[in-house]
Amino acid sequence: MSVITCNLHQCVRCMRCLKVCPMEAITIKNERATISSKKCIDCGLCIEACHHQGLQAKGSTLAELNNYEKTILLVPTSTYASCKDIKEARTLLRAIEKIGFDQVVNLSEYEGAVAGKVEEYLNTYPSNLLISSFCPVVNHLIEQKYPMLISNLMPFDYPGELAARDLRKKYDNEKTGIFLLCECPSKLALTRYPYGKEKSAIDHAIPMVDLFPMMNQLRSEEESFFELCKPGIELVSDTIDSRLKKECLAVDGFDKVCKALELAEFGLLKEVRYLSLSACNNGCIGGQFLWGNSFNGKINMRELIKTAHQPMYECSFDELYSEETADAIDAMPNIFEQLNRFKNVNEKLEALPGFDCGACGYPSCRTMAEAITDGICTLQQCRVLERQVKK
Amino acid sequence: MLFTQTYQVARDDYANAGKVSSLIKNLLKQLGINPNLLRRIAVACYEAEINMIIHAYGGHIDLIIDEEKIKLVFEDSGPGIADVEKALTEGYSTADTRAREMGFGAGMGLPNIRRVSDEFDLKTSPDGTRITLGFNL
Repeated sequence: MSVITCNLHQCVRCMRCLKVCPMEAITIKNERATISSKKCIDCGLCIEACHHQGLQAKGSTLAELNNYEKTILLVPTSTYASCKDIKEARTLLRAIEKIGFDQVVNLSEYEGAVAGKVEEYLNTYPSNLLISSFCPVVNHLIEQKYPMLISNLMPFDYPGELAARDLRKKYDNEKTGIFLLCECPSKLALTRYPYGKEKSAIDHAIPMVDLFPMMNQLRSEEESFFELCKPGIELVSDTIDSRLKKECLAVDGFDKVCKALELAEFGLLKEVRYLSLSACNNGCIGGQFLWGNSFNGKINMRELIKTAHQPMYECSFDELYSEETADAIDAMPNIFEQLNRFKNVNEKLEALPGFDCGACGYPSCRTMAEAITDGICTLQQCRVLERQVKK
Repeated sequence: MLFTQTYQVARDDYANAGKVSSLIKNLLKQLGINPNLLRRIAVACYEAEINMIIHAYGGHIDLIIDEEKIKLVFEDSGPGIADVEKALTEGYSTADTRAREMGFGAGMGLPNIRRVSDEFDLKTSPDGTRITLGFNL
């Protein structure tokens, strides 16, 4: 379910992406990086690691606007991470409004409403550890690597999805196009490969960076009045108010998230009731498509939260769920077949040097051993063994 | 017997506490074992591994998979458990201050292990302890 593609002209086959991918989804075949759509969770670490713009995540473009009679743009709160105060945020919103959408909707209220519901949900299910489900990267990570924790995932949709469904009620016709401004690649993936359902209520996702030059040009002293909502800011900057909820823990950054999940699997996070996870550093404000840096962003958000209000929009639990969220445990593979395969792979692995050098194009000796078992490649492709034979 | 593997657990190695359990957990994950079963195995394995480090002088863990069950055998040459009945009581702990300072020794280890496993067998003497756990597939 990858939205990340390799640009052949830019790729110098340096293998940075191969090494950095936490899912071992990248292999270099025929002199180019190939991303396994099944394994990729759109975390974007490979894009960050690439020094040559060889990897890109592409979303929809403004050309899509022509296909609809009415267009709506959803703007997440993280967009305002670069604004020092609410005045700057208002000039930015004005600039966004000038881009050409018929209506611009801030997700702040929806994010706030969802955050409020999280609290209510925690009180309803008091005994289990619950894990936030708003970061698509984390959802896919848990599904693939931490299946034991699937039942701990909250069954809530991303606030953007909730907003889009709400707007669809008002403008229910096919000629209304709902666009989402995205701060990271995984949000792009959300519309194309919605989690656990057939179709997303959002039609198109646009990376924030693509619109940034335009926003910058259109930006002036002119303001458009709006207010941010406090829990919404907390949600995107991963700062849960710890005075209020002492058993809640916010964890940001991919490595930290993995560590927390690892401990959660052993049941070791005994003091924690709610884990709010975000794969990006500093939360959604650390998304790759945002300009500025998320450390300044964190400071800005701290300032913005002072003028923010409590959410006005109220939603019911029913609205938060989509029909089939978190119902993703596939039919389990037969253990004994898997065990046989595992033994075969181990046998092949013993023949390999075990340096995980990546020269063969596979991220590790184990992945190569798996490919050999599947008959996709041969032992002769190992560069280290080849050298040893020559000697 | 379809598969066996032995892992060594070093004595007093608090820094690496839980590493073997992680290895076993990840191996079983790759085999696609039901998450709920895996959760029980992970919890039991972790607790037993920690026990080995805190109370015994290290030892080894055997993972055995056969057609019907997954077996875990924890064998150490530690001082043994003086009062098995008490050790199986929730909240009873003989862990020293150092272990407690590191967050271990809440007295839930053995009771937890027995609770989550389908088969539980404990043999102990002053020369060592052997715990065999069975989990039905």
